[in-house]
Amino acid sequence: MAERGKSVPAQGMDKTLSRVDDVPEEKLIRALLDNFPNTVTDFKKLGKGVVRASIERRDIHKACLFLKDSLGFEHLSMISAVEYDNRFEIVYHVASWGHNLLLELITTTPKDDPSVDSVSSVWGGADWQERESYDLMGIKFNNHPKLERILLPQDYLYHPLRKDFKGGD
Amino acid sequence: MNLFDFCYGLIHWLVDLINNIWYRLGDWLPWWFGDFFTGVGDFARSHGHIAVMAILLEVLIIIIIALINVLNFIWLDRKFMGRMFDFYGPYYVGYRIGGWLQNLADGIKLFVKEIITPAKADKLGFLLAPIIYVGSSFLALATIPLGRQFYIGTNADPLSTGVEASALIAFAFFAIAPFSILIAGWSSNNKYTLIGGMRSAAQMMSYEIPMLLTVASVFLMAGSFGFMGIVDAQHDIWFGIPLFIGLVTFIICLAAEVEIQPFDLPEAEAELVEGWTTEYCGMRFGLFMMTGYLRGYIGGALATALFLGGWHGPAFLPDPIWFLIKAYIVFVLIEWARWSLPRVRVDQILNIGWKRLLPMAILNLMIAVLLKTAGWF
Amino acid sequence: MAEMWINMGPQHPMTHGLWNLRVKVDGETIVDAQPEVGYLHRGIEKLVEGRTYTQVIPITDRLCYGSSLTWSHLYCLTAENLMGVEVPPRAEYIRVAAIEMQRIASHLMWLAAYSTDLGLMLGFLYTMRDREVFIDILQALSGSRLTYNYPRIGGVAHDVPPNFERDTLRACNYMEKKLKEYEDLFEGSKVFMMRNVDVGLLKKEDAMNLGVTGPPLRASGVKYDLRKDMPYSVYPELDFEPVTHPDGDCYARYRVRMDEMYESCKIIRQAVQKMPKGKWRVVAPRNGPVGTGLGRVEDPRGEGVMYIVGDGTDRPYRLKIRSPIFVTVSAAPKMLIGYKMADVVAIMGGLDMCIGETDR
Repeated sequence: MAERGKSVPAQGMDKTLSRVDDVPEEKLIRALLDNFPNTVTDFKKLGKGVVRASIERRDIHKACLFLKDSLGFEHLSMISAVEYDNRFEIVYHVASWGHNLLLELITTTPKDDPSVDSVSSVWGGADWQERESYDLMGIKFNNHPKLERILLPQDYLYHPLRKDFKGGD
Repeated sequence: MNLFDFCYGLIHWLVDLINNIWYRLGDWLPWWFGDFFTGVGDFARSHGHIAVMAILLEVLIIIIIALINVLNFIWLDRKFMGRMFDFYGPYYVGYRIGGWLQNLADGIKLFVKEIITPAKADKLGFLLAPIIYVGSSFLALATIPLGRQFYIGTNADPLSTGVEASALIAFAFFAIAPFSILIAGWSSNNKYTLIGGMRSAAQMMSYEIPMLLTVASVFLMAGSFGFMGIVDAQHDIWFGIPLFIGLVTFIICLAAEVEIQPFDLPEAEAELVEGWTTEYCGMRFGLFMMTGYLRGYIGGALATALFLGGWHGPAFLPDPIWFLIKAYIVFVLIEWARWSLPRVRVDQILNIGWKRLLPMAILNLMIAVLLKTAGWF
Repeated sequence: MAEMWINMGPQHPMTHGLWNLRVKVDGETIVDAQPEVGYLHRGIEKLVEGRTYTQVIPITDRLCYGSSLTWSHLYCLTAENLMGVEVPPRAEYIRVAAIEMQRIASHLMWLAAYSTDLGLMLGFLYTMRDREVFIDILQALSGSRLTYNYPRIGGVAHDVPPNFERDTLRACNYMEKKLKEYEDLFEGSKVFMMRNVDVGLLKKEDAMNLGVTGPPLRASGVKYDLRKDMPYSVYPELDFEPVTHPDGDCYARYRVRMDEMYESCKIIRQAVQKMPKGKWRVVAPRNGPVGTGLGRVEDPRGEGVMYIVGDGTDRPYRLKIRSPIFVTVSAAPKMLIGYKMADVVAIMGGLDMCIGETDR
């Protein structure tokens, strides 16, 4: 166990999947289109191994579960929230280690109801990132185990990253 | 001529000097003053009075030697640490003597700090804990001789053998410390000091036992409980050589008693700030720190007297100097280990104390019994 | 003793940076843990929206001041992805050499703080002395010691100084000798091994589930390194191996970082020797296009990601930063529960926390 000298590389990732194996970008797109025909749209290949897709917000939890369990996307890299003039966009960057793929999944919510289902039951790494989006941008995540402010004090009233927050209070 | 005779002679000479003037003064004044002066002068010349003053002077001399050695130890500690870590250590204060005066500067700094007592602390305990800690450590110095004739003697000691159970007394006083640490940790009314105090007391108490077993083996080999007897029994060969396991065990237990790295988890700065001394300010904290080094000095002196032949050495240096040189060597060994090992976790410390050092001490005792019954000692 | 909640922090000598760890202890054993961050929140994502694309680079330096070149390089990668700028090869090689030197410096600083926490102050002074070697080279390269402001969108700010290759190769040789000395110092000491082996176990499934990346993930046996698996810059042309270790304890995390330093020395040698001649900077357009850009790098602490949204002006519309430690710290309870309070230092120290990037 505790040996001196250089460490040996561990075994590589388990590369077998349940249904679709050895998925490059096109096969990923096809798998998503097959399973979520109406809600996943707007595909674009951004680079080597990077694919972007848009999804409606009511299907996000199901889609993430499908990505993790069936397609082997084990790692949620980042959850970003961007505010535009007429909408909020929540961007999920999900990575598959075994296949060296990155999926950029974009969800849109209307300006007056920025809420979306939480994916923290799918990936544990989403927990704090969703709290941060709630804290700074005001996006509510349904079914989150503990949706509280994380970077700012608990009794702070504003969401600073919104465009109408001018600071100086 | 031992230390007592020397001090007696000194005080006697001093009293005679003063009495020359004192009696003349008494003669010159009228009779009711004169009687008073003569009475006082006669009292000062009496044997009992000079004996008491001589003992006080002896105690003062031994304490001053101990404190100067403590200052040296602190300086040596910091210089040693500096050289091991690739920097200089104390350098500017006392520039020409290698930075020795840095300790005095730090002591003065501690004196001028404001002393704050926490509001909810137990006032009596808070006050008593440093007193017990410092006092018991100084008391342990009382019976350690630095040379054949260099110890605190009295007029009832014609054969200059010292107190008969002097080593036992020294260890008894040395072992009072966990008591005061518990008081200090608890009376500060602070979660962290409580944890630190408990850990420290547990560590000290569990390392007393291998230490005392090792010392018991020395008592066995020497056939006496007093320092004079033990050191005299080492005139052929030092006890550290047949009882080498005992020497190593004793030095490790010493490091754990004095709370020196690698055993200093009770005051681990990385976790509990200062451990059980967190709430003490100014010179009270200075007393704790100084007593830490004083116990290091006492431990080194004990290790020298018990295992390294006390003051035996070639005759070109006087006995006390040899004693101090050996105590310094023990201290340098501890320092070497101190700065190159990480801290041991507290349950691992207790593991080492009970499961590794206790069997070693018992093994050492068996070797001592074997050697004694074989008649070689 | 009854169970009680103890606050380790925010002001505490052990915590590198300002964060709070609440642990619930039962005697000496930890039964629950709650990390609390946010004491160092500077609002960097909002600050960025008021500055031009080039003015953002010094701000991203200060995200993690222990490894600042990584973050400014990540920002430049993201902005180049947005604007579609192609960086000349000489600039790529200079960037890689500088980043790997920064990685070694960051790992040495981690080792300094880690060994001090464990009680061995010797490790602190020796590693800081050796870190100076690399900081001096980076100072000659960019002008400052800690926050460099060196990469630009389209290349690097200026060319390498003379004797860069000689100094860098000397530094790598020196470092490899010193790493052997550190191995003797740390692993040869039974006390260090006692405090690190079997402490803070993080199983492979937990690490993957909780989003842990970087050395803690590789120390649990998962072979994932962004430099090899989704490479950026000129890493496809360099020859090195990602380092993993099958156990998931503190010793494994220490071992992974030590071996990463060896690998970084290899990369620096190759980068410096293969550096072509040519331009070191292409001037990027002032206004960013409407669109988005993405950049992912392997930070010394894990996976760093930046997502930038441009709106046609010369200022970014939104910059989102993913900090590896933010996610790894949320996995701390898994590693702490069941161990003793004295292990908190070793476990949290082994994660190499840099609060600047956690709180942004």
